Amino acid sequence: MTQVQTPAPRAAEQHDREVRPHGKTPLYKRERPLWMLLPGGVLMLAVIVVPLLVGVFIAMLDLDQYTLRQWFSAPFIGFANFAEAFTDSPLLHSIWISASLSVLVTAVTVPIGVAAAISTQNRFPGRGLVRSIYLIPYVLPAFVVGTFFRTMLQPQGVVNSILHTDVLWLNGSASYWALAGVMVWTSWPFVYLLSLAGLQAVDNEVHEAAALDGVTWWAKLRYIIFPYLRGPLSLAVIIAILHNINNFTLPFVLFGIPLPSSVEVMPVLTYIASFQSFRFGLSAAMAICSLVIVAIPLFVYLRAVKLDTGDDAGPDRKQRRADRRTLAAATPAAAADIDGARA
Amino acid sequence: MSTGRLRTRTLIGAVAVVALTALSLQGCAVVNGSGDDPNTLRVMMGADTTYPKERKQWQQDVAAEFERTTGAKVQWETYSSAQEELTAIQTSVISGQGPDVYAIGSTFTPTAYATGAFVQMGSKEWKAIGGKDQFDPASFGISGPSPSKQIGIPFASRPFVMAVNKDLLAQAGIDSMPTTWDQLTADAKATTTGDHHGLAVAYADGFDPWKFVWGMAENAGNTIVSKDGKAEIDTKAVENAYRTYFDWVTKDGVVDKAAIGWNNAQALAQFTEGKAAFFPMTTTTAINSFTGTPVDGKYEFALLPTVPPGATERPADGIEAASILSGDNWVVADYGKKQDLSFDFIKQLSTPKAQLEYYKLFGNLPTNADAAAQLAAANPQLKPIIDAGKLSKPTAFTGAWSDIQLSLVDVVVQSIPSLKSGEVTDDQLRARLEAAQHDAQSTLDRQKNGGL
Amino acid sequence: MSAFTTTRTRPTATLTESITAGGGGRRHKRPYDTDVTRLLPRWLLITVIAVIIAFIAVPVLYILFGSVNSDVAVARGEYFPSEFTLSNYVNIWSTVALGQGLVNSMLTAGAVAVASAALAVSTAYVLVRFRFLGRLTILRGLLALQSIPGTLLLLPVFVVFSNIASATGVQIIGTRWGLFVTYLTFALPFSTWVMVTYLRGLPKELEEAARIDGASSTKILTKIVLPLSWPGIVVSAIFAFLLGWNDVLFSTIMTTPNTRTVAVVLQVLGTTQEGGAVPIYGQMMAASIVCAVPVVALYLIFQRYLVGGLTAGSVK
Repeated sequence: MTQVQTPAPRAAEQHDREVRPHGKTPLYKRERPLWMLLPGGVLMLAVIVVPLLVGVFIAMLDLDQYTLRQWFSAPFIGFANFAEAFTDSPLLHSIWISASLSVLVTAVTVPIGVAAAISTQNRFPGRGLVRSIYLIPYVLPAFVVGTFFRTMLQPQGVVNSILHTDVLWLNGSASYWALAGVMVWTSWPFVYLLSLAGLQAVDNEVHEAAALDGVTWWAKLRYIIFPYLRGPLSLAVIIAILHNINNFTLPFVLFGIPLPSSVEVMPVLTYIASFQSFRFGLSAAMAICSLVIVAIPLFVYLRAVKLDTGDDAGPDRKQRRADRRTLAAATPAAAADIDGARA
Repeated sequence: MSTGRLRTRTLIGAVAVVALTALSLQGCAVVNGSGDDPNTLRVMMGADTTYPKERKQWQQDVAAEFERTTGAKVQWETYSSAQEELTAIQTSVISGQGPDVYAIGSTFTPTAYATGAFVQMGSKEWKAIGGKDQFDPASFGISGPSPSKQIGIPFASRPFVMAVNKDLLAQAGIDSMPTTWDQLTADAKATTTGDHHGLAVAYADGFDPWKFVWGMAENAGNTIVSKDGKAEIDTKAVENAYRTYFDWVTKDGVVDKAAIGWNNAQALAQFTEGKAAFFPMTTTTAINSFTGTPVDGKYEFALLPTVPPGATERPADGIEAASILSGDNWVVADYGKKQDLSFDFIKQLSTPKAQLEYYKLFGNLPTNADAAAQLAAANPQLKPIIDAGKLSKPTAFTGAWSDIQLSLVDVVVQSIPSLKSGEVTDDQLRARLEAAQHDAQSTLDRQKNGGL
Repeated sequence: MSAFTTTRTRPTATLTESITAGGGGRRHKRPYDTDVTRLLPRWLLITVIAVIIAFIAVPVLYILFGSVNSDVAVARGEYFPSEFTLSNYVNIWSTVALGQGLVNSMLTAGAVAVASAALAVSTAYVLVRFRFLGRLTILRGLLALQSIPGTLLLLPVFVVFSNIASATGVQIIGTRWGLFVTYLTFALPFSTWVMVTYLRGLPKELEEAARIDGASSTKILTKIVLPLSWPGIVVSAIFAFLLGWNDVLFSTIMTTPNTRTVAVVLQVLGTTQEGGAVPIYGQMMAASIVCAVPVVALYLIFQRYLVGGLTAGSVK
């Protein structure tokens, strides 16, 4: 008997062939077009991996403005830069600030982005325009956003007059929240875009069935739609966290240098070390330290969310069957229909 | 079978990595400017958004003249901020490819010197640009660590002065410009009435604060960095300077409280609105922003004070510094092959005619002595500016200066929350000065190349 | 049971329609309230949209107002302009080479978007649908590459490129080509991951059926996977485009005045000189709006591909 989930009729032979594939090697191991990996691989090797190795090498040199010219013969100091980065610079403090800020901002942008994606999923007059307006904060160049937010956040600027407060946003302890607010404002469309792509994977049939079973919009969202977003959102969260940790332009333009201590974020610190103090070796060491420190939770996250291994084709048959059961549990009236249909 | 292909591919990949790495690490640290057109001179200057049309026209005229006399073209490149300027220098130095001539801000000439990538001007080089004596001797202050080791050829001068609202001063009955910092504070108090404030100061600017501190310290005899490379930040003179600077907004009330979050543009906006009597730390390049505003026609320029706070006379070792030595120097890249062409270019722009033209278009004072004299004779209202140019003193010439500058500004940045709540206590200030001293000293200790 | 059978035939009809429409979208329009795919009740929809647009609008309006105001007024902190002037929109074209910057950016970012989407689809296809040694490592590695800060790579990339130039005589720095290659490489890891996530959502049956019928991988890729993955392609292309459009760090060091992108040109408008005039805020804001328009317009055009209508087990 054909599976309930397959909407279009299948030729019987096709189905048989699928259930018993030819030969012994499974499909996913035969005829692998691995050559398709080559162009991307070569590019990434040449433009990212090799410079990264050069960067690691620089981190072990005493490279500053005095030795820059003959950089290859700058004194080799091994791990001294790393030691200095850890002990004598505000690096650890700044990594903490960057990481906490980034997690906070990402956490806030997820509901906003998902809400925006859901709100434009269905067709209504003007939808295209609304979708495009949503993109605007993300499209505006970071330094423009920084510049005008800086003016808006002045002690007697727009933000204080709207909120009727007299808070010092650009310095002191409130600056952390100011930066978080601005980062949320400019980065939520990222989650929106990824959720939008993910929402397109929902079968129409699922919608039909849910409508037939009279499920409320919230139950439908929570039990049917959100599981489809799990993949895109897992990706969105980790990428957004990484981007926000490495976001240099926004804090730089908002606060200028030197940074107030409560927003001493890591990328600006490495930038100052490199382009202001000219300590390239130290700056490279700082960047590599932060890279390593960030990579560890990254891999923990990957494992926890199964982002790297999860290659199900969406909710598979087992999951879809479970979906229908959930629906049935929510609306007992339809349960009889379903059981009857499966016969 | 497919795993065999994968292994071969991995091997090829590994070889590629090794080859590329070897290629990039090959002793190509100093590469002569290859791939460069020998008949095009690459000149890098700051971008000009105040006079864009005039700048474009000037560039075309200069290039046309240059082609006429030497047959070579000019390719103009710009940087839009100090950071970009420094990045351009770094990438050029590390790769040995880049612009041939830079118009470098005076603040960054020491850094450029530290890289060792720019031509040191000996007698032959000076002759090639028309002689060293065509320039005002004062303008050499930031060309190099000593008269025999100079890389900077003075090009334009932009001394810092005070803009003063004549009307507000007249209303308060003040008829002469203050010459001491204490007088300035007193005059500011006298002109603070209603919604008018005495001083327009930008505490959150990335550059202004350290210039005040530097000026007051110099007047008291402290040059921030001593001759033997010791930082002098944790000293009475510097503490006094910060104290005066902070008290303007906390105790004296002569600065608008909102200025705690301002940058220079906002302080300028307050002045142009006519709401501030004195606007210290500006240059003639700001004139464009004054036109068409309520303060247009009602302002004039004056020298910044040269007597330290708390004194009525400059002490014996005090320095009559009315401004930092500010402006642009030309530097010629050592890595390029077009040094002769570069000198020809600089020679062309150092003539009195070219210098006066540059002043007329962009408001930068000439460094050519003849041109400066002509200008002074023809424009008496420029007297304060020209005096400021003459009384400009260089900041310490050391590769560590940009770091030291950062530490000085950092004291203010960390104090802003305290300023907002009304007071910076002496303990807080001293603690921050100690930190700044420590940072500055460690940067100074890292100096190489004979302890610049 | 009969009710269920009726339901089964209806979706088939619309699904076939969407296949023949090239996977580009549902032709069958339904009014919002009876659309079974709708996710939110009307009142909530309007509320959510209104709130989000208000959230966006306040600062964006500030930019709009600032662009028709004078620079000094903006420095003073004015939100609503006291005097209107459209001169900023006129001046930006002559103050800086904005037109040329736009052209360069369109070329570079456009090429990056297309190339990165194409490479991403093919790379993701191999990574998701096949098993081979090192697959997981590559996937994890791609993600790890995203965590590398740009400032770490800035000087090394410059060094590598200039050494290649002096060793082979092929000038990379300062050419559009060089910038294209750099941005393409930076965009690839993320684009690939977007496609990976998206492809995982596509059911395998279609491809497997085609494989059984003897189609080669390339054919499967172009004829089956590509048409179905438009939403993912559009999203990864947008990100790649924005990378090339807005990046400042690498474009400042890798371009000459002729190949300057619009992001670098915009930086010039933010120039300030110590002790100098007020930055030209008005022109900066006008230019940033002008720079944002092409991207938003492109998205407006392509967002119609961001529609559902995926099928499972449909006819070839």
